[in-house]
Amino acid sequence: MKNFLSRYGVWILAVAAVAAVGLSVVSYFTSTSSILENTAGVLTSPFRYAAESVSEWVDDKRHYYQSFNELLAENAQLRAEVAELRANARQADRDREENARFRELLGLREQRRDLEFESAMVVERSSSNWTRTLTLNEGTKHGVAVNNVVVSSEGYLIGVVTEVGLNWCTVQTIIDTDTELGALLFRTGDVVIAEGDFALMREKRLRVSYLPADTALLVGDYIVTSGLGGYYPSNIVIGTVESVETDDNGLAQYAILTPMCDFDTQTEVFIIKSFDIVE
Amino acid sequence: MLTRRDIIVKWSSYAVASLVLLFLFALTLRDVKVLGVSMFLPPLLVGVLASVEDTRASVIFGLVCGVLCDLTVAGTFPCLYTLAFTGAALCCSLLAKSVLQPGLICSLSVTVLTFLFVDALNMLALFFKCRAPFGAMASVAIRETAASCLLLLVCHPVLLGLHRKFTL
Repeated sequence: MKNFLSRYGVWILAVAAVAAVGLSVVSYFTSTSSILENTAGVLTSPFRYAAESVSEWVDDKRHYYQSFNELLAENAQLRAEVAELRANARQADRDREENARFRELLGLREQRRDLEFESAMVVERSSSNWTRTLTLNEGTKHGVAVNNVVVSSEGYLIGVVTEVGLNWCTVQTIIDTDTELGALLFRTGDVVIAEGDFALMREKRLRVSYLPADTALLVGDYIVTSGLGGYYPSNIVIGTVESVETDDNGLAQYAILTPMCDFDTQTEVFIIKSFDIVE
Repeated sequence: MLTRRDIIVKWSSYAVASLVLLFLFALTLRDVKVLGVSMFLPPLLVGVLASVEDTRASVIFGLVCGVLCDLTVAGTFPCLYTLAFTGAALCCSLLAKSVLQPGLICSLSVTVLTFLFVDALNMLALFFKCRAPFGAMASVAIRETAASCLLLLVCHPVLLGLHRKFTL
């Protein structure tokens, strides 16, 4: 052992250190992925896509034969929900017209949300137990950039692009431990922080911290993106409050948030490449 | 004594076998949860090969595997697998040469050792980044190691079979 280490130890350490430092530096300083990462991503994307397709096919077959009664119950519940939503939509139409009249009277700018979408397919879900990411089949050649927001087909927040290559990008989902988003409690307008938590990540939950002392959170309250700072579009639904807990030190409260979409079942998502919002 | 050509053929075979195992794993078992966690194949390949091959070659294989994993798999920090696999390959090889006889027990031990390297680095990274609780991380690490050891039932015979084919 001594003989081996004395002969090759320095070289092994040097090569490992150079590789490690090289990867770290490139990863830290580039807004897109390095040439090596890009090449690896491009070369492996057909295999990732093939693996994901087979996995999807198996899942499809499994779901096809799931309980018929469960689907019937869900259908009845959805019909009731549709009826309620239709009533809300009619009310919203009237409110919108009234709002437009008031805006005109007060001379306010017209509200608008111009979002540029790029649809993408999920080609891989991270299998690691330590991070929660998705790989999509769109990259720099489609105009995707780091920090672009990714939403589901229903418009719910999925995550943020953290790495991008020629025809692929990696999305850090909102439950990943690295996530930290400016958020808003929709009912009260309080500004909070939505952040990933390792203990909650496996349960597909995240945490809402920095709750104002006088906030009365209710289970089911919607949490949306705040849009503060202009990095991400505002008013994208992140999830709903599942419970309110007290910190270990007993001084501060935090909430557990359930995302609106299930990351494991998403196959098609939308990347918001640019946005212009006037509230 | 193997010729240069034999060595190239042997390591090419290892590389192809590893890629095939990784692809088959991605096709079939990637989304399967055992003990509530996903299994992770690359540390097994590094550990098992390090236990049967000579130290220098094992370390180089660990380094290459680590770099490839860092380029393709999301990790808690950019050079996680490069550091973990290189260190693990070195330790596994030395352990297998000095203490253990090649076999399933040896493969099991070096797999646990490799996961120890990977998970220790993961835990440190997550602790310093977001103060993740050690209890929760240790629980995931133990279950991930235990679940992944099941893959040895396939990896161990394949890689040892290749090793025997080229050395005996």
